[in-house]
Amino acid sequence: MFKMMGNIFKNLVSKPATRLYPFEKREPFKNTRGQIAGCDIDKCIFCGICQRKCPADAIVVNKEEKSWEIDQFRCVICNACVEACPKKCIISSETHKTPQYKKDKLKIVQTEKITESTGKITT
Amino acid sequence: MSSTIIPFGPQHPVLPEPLHIRLVMEDEKIVEAIPAIGYVHRGLEKLTETKDFTQNVYIVERVCGICSVMHAMAYCQGIEELMNIVVPDRAKFLRVIWAELHRIHSHLLWLGLLADAFGFESLFMQVWRDREKVMDIMEETAGARVVISANAIGGTRRDLSKEQMVKINLTIDEIKHDLEQVESVFLNNYTVKHRLVGRGILTKADAIELCAVGPMARASGISMDLRTTGYSAYGQLDFEPVLHNDGDNYARTYVRLKEIYQSIDLIKQAISKIPEGEHLVPVKGMPPKGEVISRVEQPRGEVLYYLRANGTKNLERLRLRTPTFANIPSLMKMLPGSQLSDVPLLILTIDPCISCTER
Amino acid sequence: MIENLEGIAIDQLLAETQKCKYEGYRFITATCADNGDETIDIIYHFDKDYVMKNYRVTFNKGEAVPSISKIFLCAVLVENEIKELFGVNVTDIAIDYGGHMLLSEEELDSPMLRRQITVEKRGGK
Repeated sequence: MFKMMGNIFKNLVSKPATRLYPFEKREPFKNTRGQIAGCDIDKCIFCGICQRKCPADAIVVNKEEKSWEIDQFRCVICNACVEACPKKCIISSETHKTPQYKKDKLKIVQTEKITESTGKITT
Repeated sequence: MSSTIIPFGPQHPVLPEPLHIRLVMEDEKIVEAIPAIGYVHRGLEKLTETKDFTQNVYIVERVCGICSVMHAMAYCQGIEELMNIVVPDRAKFLRVIWAELHRIHSHLLWLGLLADAFGFESLFMQVWRDREKVMDIMEETAGARVVISANAIGGTRRDLSKEQMVKINLTIDEIKHDLEQVESVFLNNYTVKHRLVGRGILTKADAIELCAVGPMARASGISMDLRTTGYSAYGQLDFEPVLHNDGDNYARTYVRLKEIYQSIDLIKQAISKIPEGEHLVPVKGMPPKGEVISRVEQPRGEVLYYLRANGTKNLERLRLRTPTFANIPSLMKMLPGSQLSDVPLLILTIDPCISCTER
Repeated sequence: MIENLEGIAIDQLLAETQKCKYEGYRFITATCADNGDETIDIIYHFDKDYVMKNYRVTFNKGEAVPSISKIFLCAVLVENEIKELFGVNVTDIAIDYGGHMLLSEEELDSPMLRRQITVEKRGGK
């Protein structure tokens, strides 16, 4: 019965092992797979390899409209698309996706080359 | 002497997953028990017939959250044998390190659930605090906490640097130090022993007849551990299976507790012996026509994978048999003769992982 | 690739299983696969001291297969699963769940068999 006493005293005097979550957040480690934040649309060549490799069928690439769309609620964050992309233009971020009210898809369309800007339309 | 039938229902506070047992009782003693499963059937075997053989790694990992690395390892070993791919040595050692880390976290989780099942909540929290350290290592080295996706066909997706290996060594030393303080409570405390010793006895003859696997068989005296056959890098590490002869709840707790020490020792050996080299070999082509069987030792026992390919990019048949599937019939021999209040504890000692059972 | 694989006929199944039990083999599991040409394969896996022995039984859809649960009681769950998911007529299982172990009433019968799926295109959407 007294074998736990040493442990109990150490727990009483040291600081708690949990953190007050919404007020203190932990920094994620480097190279953590948090979510797929989008892609760099100027470099994308619309080859469709990421659509073929995705195990959850979450990416849709349309070559005629020059758009790349991902359903982030179907994505299982395996990063197979990031490794398969030949131009390495898919961006993976370290923070997880926050809860949302509606399941919107993230769609990025490449505009004309003259203005060199990316148009981000969320439908 | 009247008999009543009580359903030990799918919902119960002690079970992590739904399992239904029909108990026939006579005045507090159980006479017969019939298990029934089927509450979380997802049809994953059919799903793997529609996906590529490279996408199947991600599906197979998600069969179970607690033993996910070993599922991916068994699948990758099967495909590598079919396609005659030689995996580099460094990748084999890396797979062993992640597999043993997973075994530590699975046994720590089970010890915590056991303590919670007989009401000792502070012990449950102590053990899970150590488990958090293992989850932090996994997030730092492989990218995610639970389903780590570290295995790929042809090796592993990431490598471990020297600083990371030093950090792993320090962390598992801390876990070992904490565990030594908690071990004496599990094994020598008077109230804990009263609930564990002499209950739920599975004799050696019964274990052989009902084909039990994993720590359940080792706690009844059968020396059976697939890691001694030497797949992956286990042939170059030395260890012996942990055995106990009694076959009751205390024996199973003892076996799982000592296996944590054995895994800590295996990780230290693997880190000291790991060779230099690459961690991934490129894979070209499709699996040729043929069938293969691969077996791996998971924390709960032996898992068997049967793969049949026919030359296209989809597999024709993938079949997996997980260890809990083989351990559930032993409930039919362990439960009769015990009291009703011991039933939740007995069911927890087989370490049920029902999502593995009914993929 | 699979060691010690032997093909046997349905009526030799019980005799071979009994022989395995006398020699001390342990039953691992049974695998069922649809061959695509109206035949079904069931492969029984046994193990002793880490050496496996496998038996393959091939038969047409609709034939009756005897159950080995009288010899190995642990085969109960696997045979119920084969009966439900593949629609194989396995007779005399020691504990028979009547087709409701894994599937419920509103699902397809024998979902794992290969079947042709035809997509109908209706006018409009």
